[in-house]
Amino acid sequence: MTGKHKVLIVDDEVHIRRLIDATLKRVGYTTVEASSGREALDRLRQERPDVTLLDLGLPDRDGLELVPLFKQQSDASLIVISARDATEQKVAALDLGADDYLTKPFDTDELLARLRVALRNRTTRDGGATAVTAGDVEIDLLNRIVRKGGREVHLTPKEYGVLAQLAKFPGRVITHGQIMAQVWPREVDHHVEYLRVLVRTLRQKLEDDPQQPQIIGNEPGIGYRLRSGIEG
Amino acid sequence: MNAPPSDRQASSHPATPLHGYIAAALAVIAMTAISLLLVHAIALGNIALLYLVPVMFAAARYGLRAGLFAGLASSLAYNFFFLPPTGTLTVDNPANIISLLVLLGVAIVTSQFAASARAQAQRAQESARQNAMLAGFSRHLSAAAGQEELMQSVCTEIARLLDVRAILLTPSVEGPILRAAVPPEDRIDRIEAAAAQWAMDHLQPAGRGSITLTASDWLFHPLHTQRGVVAVVGMARDDGDLPIPTGHDALVTSLLDQAAVALDRMALEDQMLEARQVAERDRLRAALLSSVSHDLRTPLTSILTAAQALRQEQGSTLVDTIESEAQRLNRFVANLLDMARLEAGALPMRVEATDLLDAVSAAIADTRQALAGHMVTVDLSPDLPLVRVDPVLLHHCLINLLDNAGRYGAPGTTVIIRGRSEADAILLSVIDQGPGIPAGQEARLFETFTRLAGSDRAVHGTGLGLTIVKGFAEAMGLSVAASNVADPSGACFTIRIPDTVMIGNMTLKDLA
Repeated sequence: MTGKHKVLIVDDEVHIRRLIDATLKRVGYTTVEASSGREALDRLRQERPDVTLLDLGLPDRDGLELVPLFKQQSDASLIVISARDATEQKVAALDLGADDYLTKPFDTDELLARLRVALRNRTTRDGGATAVTAGDVEIDLLNRIVRKGGREVHLTPKEYGVLAQLAKFPGRVITHGQIMAQVWPREVDHHVEYLRVLVRTLRQKLEDDPQQPQIIGNEPGIGYRLRSGIEG
Repeated sequence: MNAPPSDRQASSHPATPLHGYIAAALAVIAMTAISLLLVHAIALGNIALLYLVPVMFAAARYGLRAGLFAGLASSLAYNFFFLPPTGTLTVDNPANIISLLVLLGVAIVTSQFAASARAQAQRAQESARQNAMLAGFSRHLSAAAGQEELMQSVCTEIARLLDVRAILLTPSVEGPILRAAVPPEDRIDRIEAAAAQWAMDHLQPAGRGSITLTASDWLFHPLHTQRGVVAVVGMARDDGDLPIPTGHDALVTSLLDQAAVALDRMALEDQMLEARQVAERDRLRAALLSSVSHDLRTPLTSILTAAQALRQEQGSTLVDTIESEAQRLNRFVANLLDMARLEAGALPMRVEATDLLDAVSAAIADTRQALAGHMVTVDLSPDLPLVRVDPVLLHHCLINLLDNAGRYGAPGTTVIIRGRSEADAILLSVIDQGPGIPAGQEARLFETFTRLAGSDRAVHGTGLGLTIVKGFAEAMGLSVAASNVADPSGACFTIRIPDTVMIGNMTLKDLA
C-alpha cells in the first residue's frame, strides 16, 4: 500500500535526511527533502506530499511555528521529530495539529509504523472508515458498539467517549487535552484524574491482562494511543 | 526654605514687635493732622470714620495688638482734639460718647479680622514652604542610583532640612547595622542600638523626645511600609536640644514616610533585578542543555538509522553491536543530561494525576530492548490510588530501575514490578534475580558514580542511573531504598510514594 506515497523529509542534518531517504525508498515510498523551514514550505506546495516528517530543530524557524503553517497549506499528515525531550513541546506540537511525534534517536521500525498509521488515518479521514480493531477488540464507531472476542462489552457513555476519541485515529497519540475537550466539552478545568480513572475501567473491560495493557498505550505526560495492530 | 523654622511657637497671635506700635502711633498722629486740616470742611462724625484707616492699617500690617493700640490711640486723639470740649479728655454730649465707643468697637473687630487673615496667610505660606521641602526631599531621593546612595541621601536631606545630625540603620539578625550618617559616624553606642532595635520592633519612635528609652541622645524613627520595617532613622542635635522641634512632628512624619517608600521601592527594584538575572541564568542553562542534547543525539540518530539500514542488507552480529552500543550511548546521554538538570536544580516539574499502572506499562514499553532476555511480571494491587507526581520524571525513574534490573538480573530470569498499598504509602518495587547488593552498601548505591565491587565486573553501567532515580524521586517528594530479597534471591529497589501525594478515593458517579 505504500507504493505511490510521497514523504517530505525536513531536517537540517544531511546525514539523517539521506538515511531516512534510503530507508523509505527501500520500502517503496517516494521522497522529497528539505533542509530549512523556508524550503520545506516551498516543497510542500510544489510536491504535495502525503506525509511530512518535520524536525523541530531547524536553523531558520522554530519548528513549532511551522506546525500550524503546514496544516493550513496542506492536508499531508505531519509527524514531528524532535531531539529535545521536552514534553511540553511535544504536547504543543500535537495540540497545534501534528499527527504524531518521534524522539531522536528513533527506531527505524517505529518510524515506519508511525508512517503507516499516519497514512492510514489520512485515508480514514477521507474515506470515513467506521470500524477499528485493536487486538480482539472491535470498535464500531457508526453504531457505537464495542465487542471483545465477538461479545459486546457494555461501556458507560464517558468510557465510550474516551475510547472513540482514540479509535478515530488508531495508532496515533491523542493528548489528554484533546480527549478531555471532546469527552467533557463543557468543563473549563479538566481533571486528568477523571481521565485516568476512566482509562483504568476501560482497561478492566477490554484488556486480557489489565496489568499489562496491550490495547490502550500510555505516553507519559502526553496522552494515550490505541494500539491497533500496527505496532512493531 | 533652607533655614530651619526659627519661630518655634507657631501661634496665630504672635507678639507684635515694637516698631508695630510706633507705626500705629505715627499713623494715628498723621490722621489727626489731616483731620485738623479738614475739621471745618466735614462733619464731626465723619472724622471718627477717618480714624478707622490707621486702625485697619495697624491691625492688618502688625496684628491684633497693634490694631487695638491704634484703636485706643485714635479714640483718645478724637476725644482730645475734636470732641467738645476740645483740649480735654471729657465728653459733654452723650451722643459723642456713643461715637467714641463705636470707633473703639470697630477698631477691635477690624483688628481681629485683619489679624486672622494675616495668620491664615502665614499658615498658607508655611504649608507651601513645607510642601516645597517635601517635594525637594523626594526629588533628591529619586535621583539616587543605588541603595547605598539612597540611604546617604536620606540622611543628608534630613540633616539639612531639620538642622540635625542624622544616621540610618537597617535591621539584621545581629541587630541594627549603621548604613549611612551625616556627618559621617563610624559606630553607635549600645544604648543607641537598643533604642534603634526597639523602634524597629515596635514600629514606634524611641529615644530622646519620645516616650521610651529617653536616655539616648538620639531619637529613632522607624521607616516602615506594608512589607515591614525597612530602616530606622536616628536624629540628634549638637546643642542637646530636642531633635524634632515642637510642632514639626507632621513634617517629620511625612519626610520619613517618603524615605520609607523610596527605600522600599529601591529594595523591590533590586529584588526584581535579581529575579531577572536568575531567570536569565536558568534560560541560558536550559538553552545550553537543549543544545547539548541536540548535538549529542543527532549523530546517535545517524548511527542508529545507519545500523538499522545495514542490518536490512546484511544481517551480522557486528551491526547488532553497533546498534546496541549506540542504544547504550543514548541511555548514557539521556542520564547525563538528566543529571545536569538535577544538579543545576533546573528540573521542570509538571505534576499531574498519574495512574501507576500507566507509568509501569509505559516504562516496560520503553525498555523492551533492555529487558529482551527477561520475563517481566507486573503485580500491582488493583486498588492503588492515583498519585500526584511528574509523569515524565517517574518514567525516567522506572526506566532506570528496569534497565538496572535488566543488566544485573541473570539472563532468562524474571523481573517483577510490584505495587503495594501500605498504611501511609505506596511501595513500588522493581525486583531482579541478580547477585543482590553487598551487605551495608544499600545507601551508597545511590551516590553518583558508585558501582559496587563484586557486582560491576561483568556488567556495564555508568553508575548514574540510580543517582538519577534518587534525585528525581526526591524532587517529587518520594524516596527510594534498596534491599535484598531472598526468594528468589536478588536486589529489590523500592520507590516509596507517601500518602501526601496520593489522590483519595474519588466519587466516580459524575464520570459516567
